Amino acid sequence: MIEDKNIIIELKDVYKSFGKHDVHKGINVKVPQGGITVILGPSGTGKSVLLKEMMGLLLPDKGEVFIEGVDITKASKVDLVNIRKKFGMLFQNAALFDSMTVYENVAFPLREHTKFKESKIKELVIEKLRLVGLNNVEYKLPSELSGGMRKRVGLARAIVLEPKIILYDEPTTGLDPIMRDVVDDLIYSTQKKLNITSVVISHDIDSAFKIADYMAMIYDGKTVLNETKDNFKNSDNPYVQQFINGSKDGPIKMF
Amino acid sequence: MDKILTIIGAPFLNMASGSGKFFLLFIESIVWLFRPPFRWKQLFKQIEFIGANSISVIILTGTFTGMVFAFQSYIGFHKFGADYMVGTVVGLGMARELGPVLSAIMVAARAGSAITAEIGTMKVTEQIDALHSLAVDPVQYLVTPRILAGLIVMPLLNSIAVFCGVVGGYFVGVKILDINKTLYLQYMYQYVDLSDLYNGMIKSIVFGLLLTLVGCYKGMNTEGGAEGVGKATTESVVLACVLILVFDYILTAFMF
Repeated sequence: MIEDKNIIIELKDVYKSFGKHDVHKGINVKVPQGGITVILGPSGTGKSVLLKEMMGLLLPDKGEVFIEGVDITKASKVDLVNIRKKFGMLFQNAALFDSMTVYENVAFPLREHTKFKESKIKELVIEKLRLVGLNNVEYKLPSELSGGMRKRVGLARAIVLEPKIILYDEPTTGLDPIMRDVVDDLIYSTQKKLNITSVVISHDIDSAFKIADYMAMIYDGKTVLNETKDNFKNSDNPYVQQFINGSKDGPIKMF
Repeated sequence: MDKILTIIGAPFLNMASGSGKFFLLFIESIVWLFRPPFRWKQLFKQIEFIGANSISVIILTGTFTGMVFAFQSYIGFHKFGADYMVGTVVGLGMARELGPVLSAIMVAARAGSAITAEIGTMKVTEQIDALHSLAVDPVQYLVTPRILAGLIVMPLLNSIAVFCGVVGGYFVGVKILDINKTLYLQYMYQYVDLSDLYNGMIKSIVFGLLLTLVGCYKGMNTEGGAEGVGKATTESVVLACVLILVFDYILTAFMF
C-alpha cells in the first residue's frame, strides 16, 4: 500500500468512455509527492487519457481527481488554468510548436506567464536547454531536430516555469535502446535536480524499474496494483507477473 | 427498425451538435475579444496573412469581374440603345453583390483553407493540447486574432475589389466598346449611392467573420492525422463558401 500522507495527485474511482468504448471503469491511483511514479499498462488501455485527466485536459464521466487536495473535476475554468500552471507535460511526440524556433518554444511559457525582461528569459531558456543537454540549437526549427532532441526541447519547455509536477507521456516509445537510456537518465536526473514529482506513462518495463519510486498498473480500465517499486516487483499478482515477464500467456488477453 | 432510425437520425444529430459547437466557438472567441491579454503580434501577423497577401488575388478577381460584367451587360443594353447604363450596372453589381461575395470566396479559398490546415495540423500533433498544458487558451491564442483580422481585413479587400471592378468596367465600356464617356460616368454617379457601398461593406464584414470562424472551427475539430487535415481543409472551404452564399441572401433580403 502507498501511505496516505503527502499524496499530490489522487484519482478516485474514475470512469470515462468515448462513445461506446469504455476506457476507464474505476481507476484509483495515488501519486506521492517528490518521486517518480510510473503508470504501466498494455497499449491502448487509456494511459494517455489518464494523464490528460490529471491535468484537466479531459474530464472524467464519473469520479474525482484531486490535485493537492483540490477536486479539479469541480473546478471553474479559471481555477483550472491556475491548476495547470503546476504541471509541465512532455507529450509523446514532444508537440513542439512547429512554427517557432527551439528558443521561442522554450521561451513561450515564460512570455505567457511571467513579466521577465528578455535578458532574463534568455538566461532561463539557455539554462533549461543546458539542463537537458542541448547546446547551440536555439535558432533551429523543430523540423530540423531528431526525435530524441525534440523530446529534450519538449522537456525544457515543460520545466521552464519550474512546475511542481511533470507528466511524461510514453517518453521512451519509438526510441532506440541507447536513446531510451538517455531519456530515462534525463527523467531521473531532472527529478533529482529539481526535486519535483514526476508521473511517467509507459509500457516499457525495463525503463520503469530503472527510474520508478512508485508504480501502478492499469488493465481493462481498472487499477490492478498501485505500490512502491519493490512491492510491485515482488507482487504475486498474476497480471503484474505476466506483464513483467512479457508473456502472452496469462490473465491479460490481447486478442 | 432501430438501425433505420439511426441511419436517418445520425446526420441530423451530427449537424445539430456541430452547429452548437460552432456557435459556442463563436461566443467564446468574442468573449476573448474583450478580455486581456490582447494578442497584437498574432493579430498583425494574421492581418498580413489574410489581408495583405490576398491583395493581388483580389485585384485580379475584381478587375476581371468588372470587365466581364461590362461586356455581358452591354449585349443587353445595346439592344435598347441604352449603352450608357453599363456603368450603372457594373457599379451597382460590384458594390452590392459581386465585390463582397467574390472577394470573400477568394479569401475563403486562400486563407480560410490555410487557417484550417494550420490549426488542424496543430490539433493532430497535440500542439493544441500543449497550449492547454501550458495554461494558454487555444481559442484566445489562435481563434480570436484570426477572427478579428477577418473582420478588419474583409471590408478593405472588398473596397479594393469594387474599385478594381469599376475601373475594369470603365476600361471595357469606354475604351473597348466605345460608350460615351460622359454619359457612362454621369449615369453611374446618378444611380450608384453611398448606401450601396455600405450594404456591400456590411456584407463583407459578416463574410470575414464567417470564413475565419469556419476555418478555425474545422481546424479545432480535426481528427485523424494527415488525411484528417486534408478532409477538414476541403470541408472548410466548401462550408465557408456555402455559408457566404446563404448569408448573402439573408443579408440582401434584410437590407434591400
